[in-house]
Amino acid sequence: MRIELDRPRCEGHGLCEEAAPELMHLDDDGELVLDVPEVDAADAAAANAAVRICPVAALRLSV
Amino acid sequence: MKQRRIVVVGNGIAGLTACDTLRTAGFDGELTVVGAEPHQPYSRPALSKALLHGGDTLSAHELPAPTHGATELLGETAAGLDVRARVLRLGGGGELPYDGLVIASGSRARRLTANDGGAGQELTLRTFEDAVRLKQLTAGRPSVIVVGGGPLGTEVASGCLSAGCEVTLVSDGQPLSRQLGGYLADLFVSAAARQGLRMVHGGRAELVTSGSGPRVLLADGTVLEADLVVTAVGDLPNTEWLAGSGLLTGGALRVDSRGRVDSRGRVRPEIVAAGDVAGFPTGRGLARVPLWTSAIDQAKVAAAGLLRGQEAAELKFQPYFWTEAFGLSLKSVGFTPVSGAPDYTGQGSDEDSQLMWWANPAGAGTAVSVNYRIPVPRLRRLANQGPAALGPPVPSQP
Repeated sequence: MRIELDRPRCEGHGLCEEAAPELMHLDDDGELVLDVPEVDAADAAAANAAVRICPVAALRLSV
Repeated sequence: MKQRRIVVVGNGIAGLTACDTLRTAGFDGELTVVGAEPHQPYSRPALSKALLHGGDTLSAHELPAPTHGATELLGETAAGLDVRARVLRLGGGGELPYDGLVIASGSRARRLTANDGGAGQELTLRTFEDAVRLKQLTAGRPSVIVVGGGPLGTEVASGCLSAGCEVTLVSDGQPLSRQLGGYLADLFVSAAARQGLRMVHGGRAELVTSGSGPRVLLADGTVLEADLVVTAVGDLPNTEWLAGSGLLTGGALRVDSRGRVDSRGRVRPEIVAAGDVAGFPTGRGLARVPLWTSAIDQAKVAAAGLLRGQEAAELKFQPYFWTEAFGLSLKSVGFTPVSGAPDYTGQGSDEDSQLMWWANPAGAGTAVSVNYRIPVPRLRRLANQGPAALGPPVPSQP
């Protein structure tokens, strides 16, 4: 499973980082960095939570 | 008690988050979600922001499809609840028995006219359909009156301005000052004035619908007319279906710090509630907080509270919300309104770009960014610990 970021949509709320800090973080400029774009089964729930919480739907999961 | 059947009433972000959290926590029983809207959950904050301000795309609100595997009854409503028998009655006539119930039936727009006489002259913005209709109507550049000076009203006014409409915002007092405080409200009012928004502080306004179009009657007797009137005067919790259930306290639904419904002091372990429908202990009294992140935080706590009861973690609520209007984008962590000027200001890349912090002697302060890109976890640290949390060097954007 892969996390995909639609960067122009991202507004830097950072709720995804709070949901899955082990998978992604916002850098000092508020730009989202995907630390672990390829997600294994163990992290699937966290990835889902991060994708779901984004209020501007800037994140997607693809198989 | 081991729950085998959990029913979730409401398929907004609170219902969705509750379903996801139940699954993540290991609930593998029968899960059913009842949603009054015919769609999958979407981002409500986006309706008055990106969707209303944007170009032709109608996708700013879309969320990824659910993965919780619940049976979804969409376009179906909850009509009644038998707490003793543990049965939910549906508007369509069916019944759903449950071991555990999540109440996330949300709220709806409060209206100035009781039922608008069917004339459709009072527009509101709450659902995706509302947003699409408003977008279509404003494309013809009608004159618009927006009643309500809260964040939703100002976002709608801004959206109508960006569509090229002539817009009057009618508010009871200075727009946004009740929600944000005078200092931040001034920033938005100045930006709105620069964009040509007409602002009328009309006290409590009334809407008069008639054959010749809608009119807004101000407290001093002034009558305003426009092609469209949009009202944004608050929301009402969807609790009517709970009348007679014994769950309401003075007509309101209340929960404890673990999301469990508290009816006049009696906590029911098998019924939790979350989102816009429920009043909860906020840290500053019991209140409904109809915001996106509040709904998510509440729903996570409520789902855990349903499965684990007293062992579940309590809600530690810290408000987070954002608003976008007149070219300003604000993010706020902590309680508002804030009074006076900020105790700390960091200047950003241009005049409009600011990072602000208000101290609170009693605990965590309030951190606000305006047109200043900052990760929310960092904004939270600023709120909680003050400017020292930002660390050296002094924050600035090149």
